[in-house]
Amino acid sequence: MKCGIEIHQRLATEKKLFCGCSAQPSEDKPIATVERMQRAVAGELGDVDLAALHEYSRGRKYRYQIFPQTTCLVELDEEPPHSMNGEALEIAVEVCLLLNSKVVDEVEVMRKTVIDGSNTSGFQRTSIIGLGGFIETSKGRVGIEAICLEEESSGIVGEKAGEITYRLDRLGIPLVEIATSPDIKDAKHAREVAEKLGMILRATGKVQRGIGTIRQDINISVPEGARVEVKGAQELGLIETIVDKEVRRQEKLVKIKGELEKRFGKKRFEKPAVVEVTEIFKNSASKLLRKECLLAMKLTNFAGLLGEELYENRRLGTELSDYAVAKAGVGGIIHSDEKLEKYPISGEEVGRLREKIGAGAHDAFVLVAGDRKTCMRALEAVCERVLQAFEGPQNEVRKVLPDGGTSYMRPMPGSARLYPETDVPPIEISRKWVEGIKLPEMPEERKARLLKILNEELAEKIMLSENYPLFEKVVGELKVEAKFVATTLEETLVSLRREGVPVEKLNENKLMELFIEYKCGKFVKAAIPEILRRVSKNTGESISSAVEKLKLEKMGEAELRKIVEEKKKAGVSSKTLIQEIMREHRLRVDAEELSKVI
Amino acid sequence: MYSKEIQKKLKDLGVEIGDSVRVKRGDQVYEGILMPKEELGDSNAIVVKLSNGYAIGIKFEGAELEKLSGHRQIGFKSSDEKIKHIAGKPLISIISTGGTVASRVDYTTGGVQASYNASDLVSIVPELGSFNINSKFLFSMMSEDMTAEHWKEMAKAVYKELKTDTSGIIVTHGTDTMHFSTAALSFMLKDLNKPVVFTGSQRSSDRGSSDSFINMICSANFASKSDVAEVSLVMHGSSNDDFCYAHRGTKVRKLHTSKRDAFKSVNDEPLAKIFPDGKIEMTNCNYRKRCDGEVSLDDKLEEKVALIKTYPGMDPGIFDFYIGKKFKGFVIEGTGLGHVPTTIEGRSVIPKIREATKAGIPVCITSQCLFGRVHDFVYANLRKEFEAGAMFCGDMLPEVAYVKLMHVLAHSKDLEEIRKMMLTNIAGELNERTPVFEL
Ligand SMILES: [Zn+2]
Repeated sequence: MKCGIEIHQRLATEKKLFCGCSAQPSEDKPIATVERMQRAVAGELGDVDLAALHEYSRGRKYRYQIFPQTTCLVELDEEPPHSMNGEALEIAVEVCLLLNSKVVDEVEVMRKTVIDGSNTSGFQRTSIIGLGGFIETSKGRVGIEAICLEEESSGIVGEKAGEITYRLDRLGIPLVEIATSPDIKDAKHAREVAEKLGMILRATGKVQRGIGTIRQDINISVPEGARVEVKGAQELGLIETIVDKEVRRQEKLVKIKGELEKRFGKKRFEKPAVVEVTEIFKNSASKLLRKECLLAMKLTNFAGLLGEELYENRRLGTELSDYAVAKAGVGGIIHSDEKLEKYPISGEEVGRLREKIGAGAHDAFVLVAGDRKTCMRALEAVCERVLQAFEGPQNEVRKVLPDGGTSYMRPMPGSARLYPETDVPPIEISRKWVEGIKLPEMPEERKARLLKILNEELAEKIMLSENYPLFEKVVGELKVEAKFVATTLEETLVSLRREGVPVEKLNENKLMELFIEYKCGKFVKAAIPEILRRVSKNTGESISSAVEKLKLEKMGEAELRKIVEEKKKAGVSSKTLIQEIMREHRLRVDAEELSKVI
Repeated sequence: MYSKEIQKKLKDLGVEIGDSVRVKRGDQVYEGILMPKEELGDSNAIVVKLSNGYAIGIKFEGAELEKLSGHRQIGFKSSDEKIKHIAGKPLISIISTGGTVASRVDYTTGGVQASYNASDLVSIVPELGSFNINSKFLFSMMSEDMTAEHWKEMAKAVYKELKTDTSGIIVTHGTDTMHFSTAALSFMLKDLNKPVVFTGSQRSSDRGSSDSFINMICSANFASKSDVAEVSLVMHGSSNDDFCYAHRGTKVRKLHTSKRDAFKSVNDEPLAKIFPDGKIEMTNCNYRKRCDGEVSLDDKLEEKVALIKTYPGMDPGIFDFYIGKKFKGFVIEGTGLGHVPTTIEGRSVIPKIREATKAGIPVCITSQCLFGRVHDFVYANLRKEFEAGAMFCGDMLPEVAYVKLMHVLAHSKDLEEIRKMMLTNIAGELNERTPVFEL
């Protein structure tokens, strides 16, 4: 098996890659929309790109949502791009250095043809920043082929008849793409490589976090198989399954090819005739079949093959159906290797159908329902896919399904997809600047260092956390105890968030203020959840004022002595004294100090 | 351009742009196609397009270059195929003068080239296949470089096409000064009998999102089907790809640097809304109709006309400069209702207007507000300007007044006659009434 992955990671820059809009996708409602068409344009060598043509053949309209802070005329393709964001370029160079990749001398920005409408311009701006490189893994070195800096595409909102809606807040956020060589050994290894690359990216502290901010594409081929690109894996946990299922799918398709060679020998599979069978199902018990037009097609010698399982819940028949769905927009197809009762289709109907199209015991059939034009297109797509079965797996792009399986998306794009972006000048990279870039600590080194001050669980939590820079600052500059800082940042905040406290409103400054006040002895550790609960809801208030309002100031020595005296007078035994005082004044008393006083 | 050193090295090695090359630098080896270097970027770095389609720049210093077999033709080759006219399809003429509408991109370099033969046009905009096309290449000009000479050549070329049995004419043009050209041809083509449609694009047609496709389709429909025998400008009507407006050639201006709907009708309603499916919806009933009459060409222009913008603190000496250079006419882009600096001695433009008028040089007043009309009476300072001899040009756009004055001066030297001609509508440039709503 040959397998390589591509990781796409959004960068946490202030602005987008080619304009001044905020790089933080917006939560607001769109304020307006524009409507556009896109068409296939001639590619390199004058040919229209295959992938582009495929999308064009679906004849869609695109609607783009506009957001106040994250959309300007650049995203609308109404203004040329501004110069490349230097902050993003620096992060990309940093990633190259971390992955032992050679940074180019001059960055040439390219246009990559994209015609699914996800870019208003019809292309994505992309450029190679580094070539070559490697990472070490448990199964040896995995090479890096290239590291690119590119624009994120628009987010899809929805699709209805002939129209796709996209939101423009995401379009143009800087994205680093890392492509590995096909050095990955197996499904488990794929996951390890993805995980490792993800950790290195997070180690920079300059990448976006959260759902959708990192995506993996996986390239897989088996011997005698084809190059298949599986797009859009967002969960690391799914990678093993995806690789495993795709390997099985390709292997099975190779077997089916062998079986077909056996069945057909030197005979050729003739393109089957399309037969109208609407009449047979006129009074069908299935609503699905009481349509304007029903067309059927005989697949000579295919009996049993459409039902061949490629992997759980996917058969050759499913692959035919995918084609019909993608190319003709039908809901699906019906074929002879299915449980036809479920539609329901009666044995009598099957008999009449087989008779009408002349299908014998060795033959399979395919049936589609809908308007005539769509049905014709669907059967054409099915026929195309059937012919491909004689060649084995096809080079294609597939999309991930929730169970880790995949379905057909579009043909593999040709190399005609890239040409120079003449609106952005090339960027010279000075060696001196590259050498001056300060690299972050690598995950292994950081972990080893943290283990000296934290237990393993906390070390792992904090080392790649968004809060790591703050942790370093508090521990390093304020000299606050590391375990306490890590616990507050990685556990207290998390449990408050689960409670529904809006802790995301607490910025780094506010948390720094908290640790400063703590360091000055304003309150005790136990008071922190209460304080954070209050300031999360009212970020304008200072920590010290919140402490006063909550009456959570740490008890001074004099007050403590007074309480101890009173308790003693009341006859509390010295055994239970600490317990009792702590129970009553937990949020204001430091146990250590208390035992000193006693 | 590559540095002299690189150029020499390439020559010595017999390597040409487009050749497959191998570049070694340190322990790195790169293989790909040698790309040309545009004016930007480091001239000491060579650009190589790798097999994955990406290009990268490699510092030439310390690099070893080796020529491999293989060469890629750089630059777009136009098709030689001739398209036969088919009876029943409407005949349109397409005259190309430059710009990026219906242009082709060289996907190796990203360079854009205008196309002008019919089969190229149809390959870019397949919808044009439903027309019979006479295509003419006039020139390939950046519109900012155009001069009165180009307008004359354009007018001649259009006139020649008008004499054929074409149903209408499209002129493709760079967008920046397209509204000057439409104004010029509006005055030079007398008694028009067919539509003359100018169009261009704000996004070049190498990209799937280009406005050029719809602009071309709408122009072709408007040129062949409409009964508007005027010079018009057809471009996107909104930021959506939903329709185009046909604007009157003398009442239109580029009002945005980059948007698709950069052109707007000013002080007039657009002539029509044109939809990509061919539907035409008239939005202005005041236009010249298609007819069987004879069109005539009047291409005389006096080029020594200056367009001067007034602004706070300007030096009136600019008029002396032009008068010294024997200029024959001035159009002033005044402020507001047509004001110029008036009262402060040494800063006032009024004496210059008076001097020029005395010397028989017409001074025409328009407004830099563009929208609305100038007025010669409502303020005392306007009256002073008027009394000095200025001709107030109503709701005429400054650029249009500039072109019109060139046309008028080529026909008369008499100040009174010039005044009369400037203030009489010739080609829709002057309106009696100002529309309430902007479309
Ligand atoms: Zn923007």
